Amino acid sequence: MPEVILVVLPAWQFAALLLAPLAILVAAAAGLRRLVRRRGAQHEDKDWSVPPLADAAGTTLFHRWDIRCKLLTLIAYSFLVASLSRVAPALAAVAVSILALVLARSSWARVLMRLLAITGFLAMFLVVMPLTAPAHPGDTVLVIDGVDWIGFNLRGLTKALAIVAKATAIALLMEPLLTTAPLPVTLHGLTKLGAPDMAGQMVLLSHRYLHVFRHEAERMAAGMRVRGFRKRTDLETLRAVANFLGMLFVRSFERTERVFDAMRARGYRGRFPAPAELRMRKTDLALAFAWLAIGAALVVYDRLSG
Amino acid sequence: MTHDPIPPVLRPAPEQTIFSVRGLAYRYADDMPALAGIDLDVAQGDRIALVGHNGSGKTTLVKQLCGLLAPSAGEVFYRGRRLHGTHLDQARLEIGLLFQDPDDQLFGHTLIDDAAFGPRNQGLALAPAEEVARLALEQVGLVEMAYKAPHNLSFGQKKRAALAGLLAMRPEVLILDEPTTNLDPRQAEIFLNLLREFAGTLICISHDLIFLYELCARAVVLDRGRIHHDYTMRELVSQRASLREHGLDFSFRLTADAPPHLGPAAAEPIPRPAPEPSGNAAANAPLVSLQSFNYRYPDGTRALAGVDLDIGCGERLAIVGENGAGKTTLLTCLLGLHQGQGTFHFGGELVTARHRKSLWRRVGMVFQDCADQLFCPSVEEEVAFGLKRLGCSVAETRERVAAALARVRLSGFEARVPLHLSGGERKRLALACVLGMSPELLILDEPTAGLDPAGEELLLEILADLEATLLLVSHDMFFVGELTRRTLVMHQGRIAFDLPTREFMQDEALGSLNGLAFVYRRNCGNAIRELQHEHEHSHPHQHLHTHPHRHAETLHAHPHEHTHEHPHRFAHRHPDGSEAHDHPPRRYHEHGHPGHDGDPHDHEHE
Repeated sequence: MPEVILVVLPAWQFAALLLAPLAILVAAAAGLRRLVRRRGAQHEDKDWSVPPLADAAGTTLFHRWDIRCKLLTLIAYSFLVASLSRVAPALAAVAVSILALVLARSSWARVLMRLLAITGFLAMFLVVMPLTAPAHPGDTVLVIDGVDWIGFNLRGLTKALAIVAKATAIALLMEPLLTTAPLPVTLHGLTKLGAPDMAGQMVLLSHRYLHVFRHEAERMAAGMRVRGFRKRTDLETLRAVANFLGMLFVRSFERTERVFDAMRARGYRGRFPAPAELRMRKTDLALAFAWLAIGAALVVYDRLSG
Repeated sequence: MTHDPIPPVLRPAPEQTIFSVRGLAYRYADDMPALAGIDLDVAQGDRIALVGHNGSGKTTLVKQLCGLLAPSAGEVFYRGRRLHGTHLDQARLEIGLLFQDPDDQLFGHTLIDDAAFGPRNQGLALAPAEEVARLALEQVGLVEMAYKAPHNLSFGQKKRAALAGLLAMRPEVLILDEPTTNLDPRQAEIFLNLLREFAGTLICISHDLIFLYELCARAVVLDRGRIHHDYTMRELVSQRASLREHGLDFSFRLTADAPPHLGPAAAEPIPRPAPEPSGNAAANAPLVSLQSFNYRYPDGTRALAGVDLDIGCGERLAIVGENGAGKTTLLTCLLGLHQGQGTFHFGGELVTARHRKSLWRRVGMVFQDCADQLFCPSVEEEVAFGLKRLGCSVAETRERVAAALARVRLSGFEARVPLHLSGGERKRLALACVLGMSPELLILDEPTAGLDPAGEELLLEILADLEATLLLVSHDMFFVGELTRRTLVMHQGRIAFDLPTREFMQDEALGSLNGLAFVYRRNCGNAIRELQHEHEHSHPHQHLHTHPHRHAETLHAHPHEHTHEHPHRFAHRHPDGSEAHDHPPRRYHEHGHPGHDGDPHDHEHE
C-alpha cells in the first residue's frame, strides 16, 4: 500500500502557495466589482418602454422554453451536477453552464456579479480543505520545512476544486434559469408546479419591498450617524441598535398593513392575477429530455472516471 | 350667544348621491375614538376637499368610504347600498384610493404590472389590461418607463405611477390622501392638471389649501373625528377665523406672494447678523467652502459635478431645484456621510477622510421624513442621544434637553413616545434633537413636508429665531422667501444659479426653468387674498343662534334664525375694484351681536 508522500517546502514557498490564490481571488473580485459597476453605469439609458426581454436577446431557446419545463429540468440537472465527485466532470459541467449562458445571451456583468457573491465562500473551501483533509495512503502532502503539524493535502485541494467547480456550474446556471423570464412568471410557474400560491406572492412582494426596507434602514442609519452614533462593543451601542431594529420592525410592520390595504383597495381578494398564460409544446419537452441527458452523461462520466 | 358650527348642508338628490354616511363612528383597537357622529352625503361629480388638523380623522374617514375599515357604529352607503359583501368588492373596483406614500401602493414588479393589477381584478384579460395600463401610464407621462421597477423611480414619478394604477381602473370616485406632499411645484402642477381632467367624483385630503382651492368646490372640515363645517371651498378660504380654529390658516403664506402693488406685504427677508470684523484670517473664512466638488454614486452615476460653494458664518441660504437635481446628495456630503472628490473646507479646515467622520459635531440636519431620525423610546432619550455622544455630563444633558424642547414648544413631552406624536410634533422633536447639539450649520431638508398650516406657522416662528448658519432645502417658496437671503438653484448636479433670494423670487422664468413653477400658486393666492379681504360695513345677513330673548312677556332661549342688517367686519369682494360689495354665497355669519338679546324677535314658535 503506498505511503503518504510528503513534499517539504521552505516556509516562503508554502506561504506563497496559500496566499497567491487568495490574492488572485481578491484581485479578481475587485476587478469584477469595478467591471460590473462600469457596466451598470453604462446601462442607465436603457429603453424601459419595452419589456426587458423583448429585444433580440429575449428570443433565445431559454426565453421561449416553457417556464415549468425549464424550472423542473434545470433544478433536476443541478442535483445531478451536485452529485459529481471528480474535478474533470465538474469542469465539464462548468463548460455546459457557460454554453447555456451563451445560448441564453445572458448579461456577463450580472453573471460576474453572481460569481462575485460566492467568491468568498468558495475561497474558504480552497484554503480550509487542503489544510484539514486527513492524509490517506497515496496522498501527496506539502509541509513546511521543520513544521510537521500542518500540511497542505493535494487530495483536499482536488476535492475543494471539485466543489468549487460544481458550485460555479450551478451558480452560472441560475442566470439562464432566473433571468430568461420575468420574476412573476417564474413564480407563477413554480405555483403551477405545486408550490404554495401564498409563498409565491410573498416572494414577489418581498422582492419589491426589500428595496424599500433597505432604503429605510439606510436613512435611519444615516440619521443615527449624524447624531454621533458609531458601532462599538458596549452596552450603549447594543441599546441603540436594539432601538434601531425595533423601530425598523415597527415601520416595516405598519407598511405591510398599508400595502395590504392598498392591494385590497384595488380589488385584491387573496390571489394575484396570473402574469402570463403558460403553454407547453413538444419542443419544450424535447429540450428538457436533451438537457437531462447531458446531466446523466456527466454522472456516468464521473462514475466511469473513478 | 352661541352659533351652530355646522350650518345645514344642502344634500344632493338621492339619485345623485354616490356616498351616504349615516351616524358613522370608529374606534381604534385601543378604544381611542377616531370618528364620531359623521353624517355626509357626496353627490356624483362632487369635488370635495377634506381638511382638518393632523389626527382629525381624515384618513380614517376615507378608509371607511373604501370599506378598508369597518364602522364601529353607523353605516356607509355607496350608490344606495351598504358597503358590505359583494357590493363592497364591486365598490372597491370603482373607487380609487391614492395613498400618501406611493411605495405603499406600487407593489407590482414593474410599472405596467402595477398599473394592470386593478384592471385584471376588474376582469380584463392580460392583453387588454396591459393596454389600459399603458394608456394610464401615458396619461401620467410615464409610458417610457413602463417596464421599470418602482424602486428605481424618483418620488414624483412614483406618485404619478401610483395615480396611473388608479386611472387604469377608470374609477367613478378618486380619493387622494396628500397627493402633493414632497412633490416639487412642477410635479404638483402635473398632478393638478391630471386631476382637473378627471371627470368623476373627487375627494382630496391635503394641507395644501392653495392646491385644494384650485381643485375642489366643496370643503368638509373635520375636527377631532367630527364634521365641523361643510361648505364651499370659497367660504372655507375666506374665513380666517374658522381656518385658524382648525389649524388651517395658511393666510400667513399669502403675504409673501403679494404683488408689489398690494403694499408692504412682500416678503422681507429675515436680517442675519453681520460677521464680526476680525483680523484673523480663519475667522473670516467661510464656514463651508467647496471647490470643484464632485460625487458619483457607487453605480457610477454622477450626482454632483463641479460644485463651487462658499457659505459664510451666520448666513441663511436656500437650495432649490427639481427632484433629482442633487440637493440631498450635496447635503449628505456636507454632513460627512459621503466622501466626494474635490476640496471641502469646514470652518477653514480641510475636511479629510478622518475629519469627515467628526463633522456631525458641527453640522446638524433635520431630515425630510423625520421618522428616519427618531428611534428612541421616549422624547427625552431622543434628544439626549446626540448629547451623550458629544460627551455631555448627565446634568448638562438634562439642561440642554429641557432647553431644546422648550425652544420647539415641546416642554412636558419628555416621557412621550416619539412614534405616537403627531407629524408636526415629530418634526419639531427632530429639530430639538439637532438644536440640542448646538450645530454651527443647521440643514433643513423639506421642513414643511406633511405639516398642517398651523404646524408650518409654528415651525416658521421657531426657525426665525435661530442663530445658527442655516441651509434650507425646500420646494416651498414661501419658506425660502421668509427664511433665506441667498438662493442656489441646482440642476443636474450643478449649481446653475447663485443669487439673492429676492431676485430669485421675482424671476418667474428662472423658477419655471428649474421645475419650480409656482405661477398658479401666486394666482390662487391673489384670488384667496381677495376673498379674505374684509372691513367693517353693513349688509343684511342671516343668523342661526341661541340666546335668551323676549317675545312680549315671554323670555326664553332656543336656536332660531332671522335676517337683519348691521355693521360688522366681514370678508367680501370688491368687483372690479369698485366700492360695491360682492359677498360670497354664505348663508350664515358668525360674529358677536352686542345688545341683540333685547332686539325684537319676530320668528315662528312651534
